[in-house]
Amino acid sequence: MKAEPAERLDPRAKTLWRITGALGALPLLAGGAFASWVLLRLADLPLLLGILPFLAAGVLFVALASVVPDLRWRRWRYEIRTNEVDLQRGVLWVSRTLVPLARIQHVDTQSGPLQRRFDLATVIFYTAAGPNRIPELSSPVAAGARDRIAALTREQDEL
Amino acid sequence: MSSEPRHLHPAAMLIDAIKSIRRSLSAFVIPGVAFLASRGFDARTIVLVLLGALVVAVLGAVWGFLSWRATTYEVAGGAFRLRQGVVQKNERTIPLDHVQSVDTVQGLIQRLFGVVEVRVETAGGGASEPDASLAALERADAEALRREIEGSRRGPVEAEEGPAVLRRLGRRELLVAGATSGQIGVALSLIAVASQLFDNVLSEDLAQRLVETLAPRSVTAVLLIVLALGLLAWILAIGGTVLAYTGFTLSRDGEFLYIRRGLLERREATIPLARIQAVRVVEGLLRQPLGLASLRVESAGYGEDAGVSTTLFPLLPRKEAQGLLLDAAPEFAVAPPLNPLPRRALRRYVFRSTAPTLFLIFAAAPASFVVFDLAWGLAALLLVLPAAFYGWLRYRDAGWALEGDRLIVRSRLLTRTTAIAPRRRLQWRATVRSPLQRRAHLATFQAQVASGGGGKELRVTDLGSEAAETLVYDLRPGARPRAR
Repeated sequence: MKAEPAERLDPRAKTLWRITGALGALPLLAGGAFASWVLLRLADLPLLLGILPFLAAGVLFVALASVVPDLRWRRWRYEIRTNEVDLQRGVLWVSRTLVPLARIQHVDTQSGPLQRRFDLATVIFYTAAGPNRIPELSSPVAAGARDRIAALTREQDEL
Repeated sequence: MSSEPRHLHPAAMLIDAIKSIRRSLSAFVIPGVAFLASRGFDARTIVLVLLGALVVAVLGAVWGFLSWRATTYEVAGGAFRLRQGVVQKNERTIPLDHVQSVDTVQGLIQRLFGVVEVRVETAGGGASEPDASLAALERADAEALRREIEGSRRGPVEAEEGPAVLRRLGRRELLVAGATSGQIGVALSLIAVASQLFDNVLSEDLAQRLVETLAPRSVTAVLLIVLALGLLAWILAIGGTVLAYTGFTLSRDGEFLYIRRGLLERREATIPLARIQAVRVVEGLLRQPLGLASLRVESAGYGEDAGVSTTLFPLLPRKEAQGLLLDAAPEFAVAPPLNPLPRRALRRYVFRSTAPTLFLIFAAAPASFVVFDLAWGLAALLLVLPAAFYGWLRYRDAGWALEGDRLIVRSRLLTRTTAIAPRRRLQWRATVRSPLQRRAHLATFQAQVASGGGGKELRVTDLGSEAAETLVYDLRPGARPRAR
């Protein structure tokens, strides 16, 4: 396979992912705190042992809110070629996906409330076997990618 | 090609009446029974209730007649038109080239009158509810309608000689199919549900006595009961297969495959060859030693969304699958020698299959020291051996090949599945590497074809890194079919 895809996501994605990561990990933190409370208060375990669940949850929380978004951003790459869309992503499980443009049925851009605050958008393109997406591009770039995919899709004659 | 609006077969009245009575039944039964019970079953109330039932039946019959009179269908101006509705008139128009399939089903009542139900499906509609259903048509009329609808897509009519039968499922094969279907699990859970119901229905007292007499006194009794339940489940599984697959006939007419099957309810389905995305040869666990397999197809609906996974043929010798495919769907009739996985993948396979067991043992080890003897913990280690063997089996059976522009992928869960898909049907393809795979220079290859519920995956786990990348590259759009 060719070298890595050329394009990266918008750098603001990292900030956005830190926020969503922290929000997503909050229940985890609460769960860890509760487990520790149970162990310390009800099971009367020594402090060092009882605090372990909370510490573990804390480490995960910090990772999800700081390191993971960076790693994820660094891995995420995409490229829209004349006949295929090339995607690379994944922190631990690294996947490389190729979607022929001839298979793409339609393309959307989407942006949630949080994404809009950062002026980011997600490009979603649908094939007969489900959607693939390029997340967190700045709005104009996303619009450009969407239009390019749509235009290229129309040009494909190979089936 | 235009035609007069036509009525359904009069049997539709009865079917409709029964349907509407059945719908109102739940509303009447409980008050009816309550009424009976409260009056204490004297003659007058029984007559009253019977009278009520008669009124419902008559109303149903009248409704059936009215709705029969209101229902007409026609094929005109390149569209199928269905008018129905007694009070609220409803007219549905389906452009002929949006019709995905014209299937026929023959329920019990339909069989009584020798008529069929015709279902016209488009891809936009949901999977459960047909877009247009004609409750009763004579077989000849149904066939004519199908011709009219499919004729528009079929081009010049060369179909006068009718579909050629490719293969029929014999009686012996049917029983073997049931016996090896591996649906014992499903049947067992059914039995469990039934026994739950039984428990609820039985009075407490009776249940108590039953349990006392039947209570397992010894290990042998328990074994016997388990054995009996297993046997019952097995028989149920065979029964289910017989119901669904009796008279299974696969035939082909030009670019269409026809499947006919069913004991009580006869079903006929159409699969346009052009819509088939992938074919799978499935060798169930019980069927492998007998050299038997079943064939399935993934097909996509109109506009290539919505689709289904259907049985193409329920049971045939593995060796004959190739020949049948050659007749039925020649594009998928390839069986090249498969490329095996690299040796180093074996370790990953064995690790993957033994990891859960090992984890369990280590997690349970402290407990087993405290609660049981050490011996138990050691005995658990024996579980690792079968798990490792299973891993080896999965490694041995995994393989892939590229024949012309068709991708062939074989893998095993318990059943061994060989999937065949042409390159132009792959919606996307990918490689995935876990940290452990990266260290061993391995990768997992995935390709997705369209099918019901968002697609089906063809996957080879632990391919050599380079092989996976070459495979992805060779399947790129516009690639020349490569000779092996």
